[in-house]
Parts: sequence; C-alpha cells; structure tokens
Amino acid sequence: GRTIIPAAPSVRRLARELHVDIQTVHGTGIAGRISEEDVRRTLAGA
Amino acid sequence: MTKSYDFDVLVIGAGPGGYHAAIRAAQLGLKVACAERESVGGVCLNVGCIPTKALLHAGEQVAAARHAADFGLTFSGQTLDIAKLNGWKDGIVKKLTGGVGALFKANKVTHLQGQASFVDDHTVQVGDKTYTAANFIIATGSEPAKLPGLDVDQQVIVDSTGALVMPDPVPARMLCVGGGVIGFEFAHVYTNMGAQVKVIEFLPTIIPGADADAVKAFQKSMEKQGIKIATQTKANRAEKKADGVHVELEDVKTGAKTTEVFDRVLVAVGRRPRTDGLNAQAAGVTVTDRGFIPADKKQRTNVSHIYSIGDVASNPMLAHKAMKEGLVAAEVIAGKPAEQDAVAIPGVVYTSPELAWVGLTEQEARDKGYEVKTGNFPFSASGRAMTLQQTDGFVKMVVEKDTDLLLGVHIVGPHASDMLGEAGLALEMAATATDIALTIHAHPTLGESVLEAAEAVHKQAIHIMNR
Repeated sequence: GRTIIPAAPSVRRLARELHVDIQTVHGTGIAGRISEEDVRRTLAGA
Repeated sequence: MTKSYDFDVLVIGAGPGGYHAAIRAAQLGLKVACAERESVGGVCLNVGCIPTKALLHAGEQVAAARHAADFGLTFSGQTLDIAKLNGWKDGIVKKLTGGVGALFKANKVTHLQGQASFVDDHTVQVGDKTYTAANFIIATGSEPAKLPGLDVDQQVIVDSTGALVMPDPVPARMLCVGGGVIGFEFAHVYTNMGAQVKVIEFLPTIIPGADADAVKAFQKSMEKQGIKIATQTKANRAEKKADGVHVELEDVKTGAKTTEVFDRVLVAVGRRPRTDGLNAQAAGVTVTDRGFIPADKKQRTNVSHIYSIGDVASNPMLAHKAMKEGLVAAEVIAGKPAEQDAVAIPGVVYTSPELAWVGLTEQEARDKGYEVKTGNFPFSASGRAMTLQQTDGFVKMVVEKDTDLLLGVHIVGPHASDMLGEAGLALEMAATATDIALTIHAHPTLGESVLEAAEAVHKQAIHIMNR
C-alpha cells in the first residue's frame, strides 16, 4: 500500500513532539497532505 | 544525565556519520568524545566520495578538452602529469579532513586516536586508556567486500582505495568487476584518462536500485563513451603474468568461460559493515550474521543507550544517510524528538552524464500498489544542455495517478546530482507534479527540465511533443 506520509518534515517532527502517531492523522490538504493543524486536531481528539 | 561518566556521548568512528553525531551532540550541550583508529573524515573523505569526485572532475576536464574542438578550441602538446593529479586530489582530502579536526576543536569534541573496544556497556578501551560514557554511538562504517579468486594487492588488482591512486602510465586495459556505483565511477575516470575499460556485472542489470528506464539511458551513454559492459558475467579468478592480469570470465547463463588480459583490475562488488576490534558483545550489542549492528528509527540498538548509524547500521551505504542518522542519534540522546523518517534517500552516480534518483522507481511504486503516471523530459530538448555539450539523458518523474503526488524523480544528465536537491525537497514536502510545474524555474537552466518533466506528466510540456 501507500507508504509515503504526505507531511512536511517539520510537521512530522511536531507530531513526534506531541506524541501523535502521524499514521493516524487525517490530512485535509491537497493529495491528503497533513498540516500542523491536522496534527493538533488529532491531539485534541477532534 | 548522570555525571559519573567521563562523557555524555562517546562516538566510535569519525566518518560522515560519526563527525555529524559528535558535532550535533556538542551543539546540544553534551560532553562528547569521538574515537577514530584511522584518519578523521572516515572513508568518504579519505578513500571514498571526495577523492573519487576529484578524479572524476579531472577526467571530465580531459574529455572536455577533446570536445572543445566542436567549437573551435584545440590544444597542442597538452600533457597530463599523473603525479600532480594524485597530489592535487590528496591535497583536497587533507584540507577537508583538517577541516573536520578544526570543527572538533571549535565544538570542544575530544578526539581520541585509536581503536575503541567495548569493555562493558558503559566503558570502552582506546589504546591503553579506558573511558566511560552514558551513551555510545557506533559509527564504524564499512569496507570493500572481497571476491574469492581475486586477491587485492592494491597495485594491479585493486579495490576502490587502490583505484584512487592513478598509475603512471594510465593502464591501457582495465576491468571493473561490479556494475554498481563505484564500478562505473572508476570506469568513467579511467576511460577519460585513456584506458579501454570493461565493466562486468553478475546481475542482469547494472546499478541495482535505479529506475529501469534511467539505467537503460545511462548504459547507452556509457557505451557510447567507449565503456564495454557485460551483464550476467562473473570473474572466477585472476592470474598475474608478465603481459598482464589474466582473468577468467564466465557467462553465468551459458557457463561459457573466456580468459581476457588486463593491466589493472578493480574489485567493486559491494561493501560490508566493519565491526572488527569493536568487541560489541562485551556491551551486549547485537551484531547480525552479515556484520550489521541494526538500529531502530531513533538509531538505538538492542541496548537502549548504545546507538548505531551509517554503513554499519544498514543499507544503503551512503554518506548523506550516515550524516542524517548521526544527527538523529545525537538529538535523541539530547532528548529531542528526532527520528530517521526521511521519505527518500537520494542516490547518485557521479559520471558524465550523472545518474541520480530520489524516491520510488516506477517499478517500486507499482509494487507498492500505487497507480502511477510518469513524465519524461529529454536533455536533447534543453537549450542549456546544448550550450554545455551534454544532451544525453532525461528527467523522469513518477507521480501517483489520482492525487498527482510526487513519488520519485530519476535523472540521467549533466549536474543531475545538484538537481536532486529540488526533487528531494519536493518529496519531503509532499509536493504534487502541479506544484513543481507552477514553480518558476530560471531559464536557461538544467533545472528547468524538472519543471518540464512535471508538465510532461500532464501532457503539457512546451519544448517537446506530448504523447
């Protein structure tokens, strides 16, 4: 299956900082791109 | 971190991975030592990337002098002083390794000269002294793999280290055993210096790991420049005689054997991790049967305060991978949220044209279940390439069909390695082919070909017919 996580390196680092598994984040951008906001939304459980 | 140890971090090996780890750890306020049994800078600086690239550049200048006749520049009485060539190359190495030493000093990294050997999981012996550390980073690198029947003497039968010393005179007939990156870079150097070079590869294709279309174009260009290439061929044994090295070659499909004579034979059949003298078992660190010390994404070995980076940790054995892993290990030790999470690690063959790639090949993408579309742009349609007399090759872009997400970029062409930076950033930023196509690239540049390949994905390239 798809293996590339569509998130910038800084977004991936933020996810690690916040202990969010980037694999579980739903990207709302073009091509499913994950933004900082998507990571924070996952953390908040929204 | 407890203060009872001599160092917060002791790095074993001062190659690209090791010196990156040591410097970053020091930048983050840790007390760092770096042990090295040979020369600071490791394989890459001393007997790898740097001296090879120096010889490749020199060879290209020799070839360029020939091609200059196309626009009316001819030379007479030109000579190549081999001693000076070797000396110039050695000077670059010396300058760069000296630079690493200076960076150690500036960052207050303690340089320990000697083989580091584990005594227990918090102690190593270096020379006749022992040092303790809270954490260790193993960065012991790799060495050329050996081939039975071909004993390297570093004179006529050489590995990559021996091949770095250009003999005087340049050998007339050269055999490169191994059609990987190292084999082709030396084949290119020696060809440009005037040797007749043959490359043999055991596998059906050369440059394993590269995109099939790119390899095809690369091989065509290498053959056009006079390099003979035989795939599915192996070298059984070599015998040194008065008239040269007699090498028995075997066609692995038919079993047919022939003997050919060469003046120099390069054995470049891969590299193997190097852990001799490390005594890893004393620290409880797992070493695999093949000699690797595996690490997780945070570069931790099975012993959580001992890290492993670079060639000794895993393939691919590339300097920039080691550098990144060194930074990750240092940052993890300092409590930062670092991880080796690169989407792609670029690969480069520094011949002319270069072969360079980052991300998935078309085949890899299909194997992973992606539906793909591709776009190609040939350098024969690039104005800049024409002005540089280097029109062989193309940029190929591999993209996910539905999302337009970039998956891989494969380039055969001049300065492909430098164009790879853009492609790598695009991959890491999850760019789409549209993002690249909408980015203004300077004209005339080679880098525009990346833009045009992105346009070609959408069948809207301007400088070629779109099919």
